[in-house]
Amino acid sequence: MMGSLGYIFGGFSEAVRLLAAGDPETFSAVWTTVQLSGLSMLASLIVGTPLGFWLGHFDFPGKRPLRTAVDTLLAFPTVVIGLVVYALISRRGPLGDLGLLFTLPGMAMGQAILALPIIVALTATAVESLDQRLRATLLTLGAGPGRLALTTLWEARFAVLAAAVMAYSRVVSEVGISMMVGGNIKWHTRTITTAIALETGKGEFAIGIALGLVLLAFALLVNLALTGLRRRSRP
Amino acid sequence: MSQPLYHLTEIERRHGPRVVLNLEELSISQGEILGLVGPNGSGKSTLLRLLALIDQPDRGRLLFDSRPTQPASADQRRQVSLLLQEPYLLKRSVFENVAYGLRVRGLKADLAERVGRALDLVGLERASFGPRPWFKLSGGEAQRVALAARLALRPRVLLLDEPTASLDLANAALVKEAALGARRAWGATLVIASHDLPWLHQVSDRVLNLFDGRPMESGHLTFLFGPWTEEKDGLWRMGLPDGQAVRAEGPARPEARAALPSAAVAVSDRPPNGSEGANVLRCLVARLTWERASDQVLIEASLAGLSLAVTLARADFAALDLRPGQEVWLSFKPSVLRWL
Repeated sequence: MMGSLGYIFGGFSEAVRLLAAGDPETFSAVWTTVQLSGLSMLASLIVGTPLGFWLGHFDFPGKRPLRTAVDTLLAFPTVVIGLVVYALISRRGPLGDLGLLFTLPGMAMGQAILALPIIVALTATAVESLDQRLRATLLTLGAGPGRLALTTLWEARFAVLAAAVMAYSRVVSEVGISMMVGGNIKWHTRTITTAIALETGKGEFAIGIALGLVLLAFALLVNLALTGLRRRSRP
Repeated sequence: MSQPLYHLTEIERRHGPRVVLNLEELSISQGEILGLVGPNGSGKSTLLRLLALIDQPDRGRLLFDSRPTQPASADQRRQVSLLLQEPYLLKRSVFENVAYGLRVRGLKADLAERVGRALDLVGLERASFGPRPWFKLSGGEAQRVALAARLALRPRVLLLDEPTASLDLANAALVKEAALGARRAWGATLVIASHDLPWLHQVSDRVLNLFDGRPMESGHLTFLFGPWTEEKDGLWRMGLPDGQAVRAEGPARPEARAALPSAAVAVSDRPPNGSEGANVLRCLVARLTWERASDQVLIEASLAGLSLAVTLARADFAALDLRPGQEVWLSFKPSVLRWL
């Protein structure tokens, strides 16, 4: 029994050694993850916050069904997104000429699709739950339509940031899109999660555990950020 | 005669199927102080939001400076500012809240000085309040910051929706003084909705009574909410808690509401003679207020928890020599009550 647990503990101490020594293969996966998640978050925020504002601020026919559709997309399985994006950007696909398959931008496209419904849905909820008096206040202080939208989003900034943090935690921990669209190429498209999957398959627990620890550290940072935002967003 | 600043004709504003404001005509002159009175839900806030060019009437025409406002241009809206009954502060510092409207207008020169002067006007110290975040303010301070944000813009029209409703006396006095300062300093036109009737009647050039979204005759109204019971000769009777009663000419319903105009009530310091058929109520004088605009004295007379309003010309009042706490007799004909 102890012997069977021993190799896990052995892997754990080896993992700490790898991290402390700055093992290049481990840190390549970490760096790839940081770059990739940054890119996908940037894309989803640029597209998602205006859409979320629009969905939360205006009343139009068909708004309710649209919100239901967005909420449904929150549970979009990553392998399905991987499949769709792969089909789009593979050689024979409509975007095949762009050569995005097995590249970071291609993977970021998939992850942005994963994050987008989270950003849109939570931004819309944040904008909807803003005080009714905000619009009258901004108008009577002289704001035009553009300024009204920007200030409204700024008023909801803590909630929008919280949405971004939620989306980030989903993006950084997904495997399906990175594996299918990125191909898990060492030094190029291998992320923390795909590396863990591969190393575990090979029986190399040390690197897997080391990367798992890094991912847990990410989760801790995300959690601290959320707690901080909740504290600041009080009325 | 110069053109009025606002000219409203046949205005109707609805919330769903319900008409919440219905005005045949209203003109407001440049530099005027117009008071709005009426019970909650009488359409005061609705009218202020129309005047602020934030909402549009569902029917009718609203001219501002002789120009149409449907839709209102950004330039028109920027000449008007509304202080909401419960102010909303942006999630920023006090300084940034007051500076917001100035920044929107691109007025970046002397920003700190303009903001500072606006804070001075509402009695908030620049250095200690400027950097303070929005959530570290009391209700009264928040209301004063919101007012400073409007005063900083030096608007041509300042609209105030119950500016002192939730404030203590000291804060209320500061807000009132700062609002009136806008007319003194740059000739702002003021429209003020308030339940503080003595103050409103003292500072206003004109007072508009609203009830159920419609204007009533000027002066004070006492509302009588029934229940009414029918008597002979087409008269309806409403019993008062102390055993006295009011009679009004029908047609009415048991749950009808009636308004008694203050000018239709006579007051005397002894039981009146020869008031055959008239209502006579014995009351105590609760409060006396002189009203600047009409040069009349408002007598609020109390009767078993009910407050009745009577207005007298200043000379007539002087002849009576009334004091608070004194017993008086109010008399009015059953025909002067108006069914609502």
